[in-house]
Amino acid sequence: MATTTTHQTSNWDTLHKNGPFELKILQKTTLEGKANMPSEVDRYNDAADEIRRLLKEALDNNEGFRAYGARWSMSRIAHQKDRMHYNVFMNLDITISSNDIHSASPYKSSDLFFFQCGNTIKEISQALDANGKSLKTSGASNGQTIAGCISTGVHGSALGVGSVQDYVVGLNLITGPKPEDIIYIERHTKPALNNAFAQKINSKVIRNDGLFDAVLVGLGSFGFIHGVVIEAEDRFLLKRYVRKINKNTALKLAKTMDFKNSDFVIDGETDANGKGVEPYHYKVFINPYTNEDKYVVEVMYKKPYATNYPDPFDTIEKSVYKDLIHLLIKISEKFPKSIPWFIKRLEKQILPDVNEESLGTLYETFWDAPYQGPAFACSFGVDIKDSEKALKVLVDLTKDEGPIPGIYAMRFVKQSQATLAFTKFPITCMIEIDGVLWNKSRKLMSLKEFSRRMIQVLQQNNIPFTIHWGKNIDWAFPGLVEHMYGDKMSEWKEYRNSLLSEESAALFSNNFLETIGLANIFDNDDIDEDLIASLLD
Amino acid sequence: MKVFNKRRFFASLLTIGVLLLFSSCYSVRLTSTKGAPMPCQAGIDCPEDKSNYYRDKMVIVLDTVVKAGATIDDIGLRVQRENCESGKLFSVEYKNTFGGALLYLVTFGSKRKVKIKYVCMKPEN
Repeated sequence: MATTTTHQTSNWDTLHKNGPFELKILQKTTLEGKANMPSEVDRYNDAADEIRRLLKEALDNNEGFRAYGARWSMSRIAHQKDRMHYNVFMNLDITISSNDIHSASPYKSSDLFFFQCGNTIKEISQALDANGKSLKTSGASNGQTIAGCISTGVHGSALGVGSVQDYVVGLNLITGPKPEDIIYIERHTKPALNNAFAQKINSKVIRNDGLFDAVLVGLGSFGFIHGVVIEAEDRFLLKRYVRKINKNTALKLAKTMDFKNSDFVIDGETDANGKGVEPYHYKVFINPYTNEDKYVVEVMYKKPYATNYPDPFDTIEKSVYKDLIHLLIKISEKFPKSIPWFIKRLEKQILPDVNEESLGTLYETFWDAPYQGPAFACSFGVDIKDSEKALKVLVDLTKDEGPIPGIYAMRFVKQSQATLAFTKFPITCMIEIDGVLWNKSRKLMSLKEFSRRMIQVLQQNNIPFTIHWGKNIDWAFPGLVEHMYGDKMSEWKEYRNSLLSEESAALFSNNFLETIGLANIFDNDDIDEDLIASLLD
Repeated sequence: MKVFNKRRFFASLLTIGVLLLFSSCYSVRLTSTKGAPMPCQAGIDCPEDKSNYYRDKMVIVLDTVVKAGATIDDIGLRVQRENCESGKLFSVEYKNTFGGALLYLVTFGSKRKVKIKYVCMKPEN
């Protein structure tokens, strides 16, 4: 049987030390050994029973419950003050055969894979690689768990692909302690697995596009995500280039994505007429404190997989002394004017080397990001047509009211169908500032104040925006989610209220959800039961 | 004049000492490009909250002096079972210290300081 260890504790923190936050109980479940229970499906169902038991325990104690994985989110999204469940040891994968595929499925059975919640992007990539497959995209690194990625909208900069949640085609949720609280959800217009498979994992099936899209970026609040079905693709290689290009050219590309008619062309990455082709990935790095007329850009082109490519890993990896960074930050808190100078000196460590080139799989290209100490990141999504204007507004704020110890980057992501995806524009430009956490001083505003000002200046300039759910921001900013998502906010809440009982909705709420106004529960009379009906057998 | 020279001498000595200490104490880490590191959470699996490469990783530290003879060429150590269920290594860090080198020299190799940190692979299910 799966076993859970329960630990009384007083606090919990994120990987990047954005807390600490209060916590009463931390639980960790490990699966029954393969030797005692050889069937993956049996072990998966055994784990589901254990999770239901934990949910009952939480309900009996009138406490909240929230699962978390690699705790990479910097916001409080993963935090629950009562009970938290560490799920990284729940890392099964279940083989899908052609017999498991729904008759109306548009997917090839060889592209579908079922992973348990605690599998990290790294583990999934390796499992896929063993089958000659690859994820379509990932974040900039590989340590996040799959359940965490989709709940918060983790993205890379794959212009034509989208975010991690966009290749998820099925979700297995546990919404409460009863056996009937295990639900398998997928789109009715794009079903993936058949009812027989759902029966194998003891699940009731709901095929409903609206519900699926709401649950997809569910902020951890639609229940315990136990399993995820993803659509993979054939393994491919990424040819990566780093170049320093004219600022206007880089920003024009950001605004138009018109690589065909751009001055920026890389030899060999052109069509038959010598025009630039659209890359798989485009990223722009911006040091807000220099007036250089060039930006560093990173571009990647998709290539067919071949075995005979050179080792893409740097064999030697160096990092700056943590104590030195800490010292620089302490100096910055007292003398903020020194920040631009420090950032210029550290540019070599922060930015990729210009003219760097590499060739590797997605797994090799977006590899481990070692922990670099307490960090912050604020990340805004805007329509690409607003990208130049939004960047200027945010950079001006950083220079005029800062300086802030971080640098900007722009990444670009295809629109998601998820109801509360922050990649909601046709192509979303994610403008992000990453840096080292600092303490408020007499001369330097706090991160919360800075993030609040970022929201204000975007609003003042009438730039529609969204915010990455897992990043730092003043989430208590009045009317923030409504401003970003409009009617989608109530649509998401309606689906949540329809799927969960009042007790379960409270069980899977947390301070983050309450702060942003998504936790409130409607009266049962207001719930439309047809909303979550299965629309396909 | 004499006092000035003495100060300068001690300052130089101190600088050389510090430089020697820095240059004679360093670590090198070898990391696997496959597999995932064995995770841990401070307060549950790990005794302390680490703020470095090892944060959220189950690190096993070997810090000991191994007795050997002048005729012993190499020393083999085995991966421990506790906290290393997979028995496979994800990363190994070797630390060289000035004290360790000195100990080796003054004992003619019969005492060897070993300081190794390793992280095992997360078990596959």
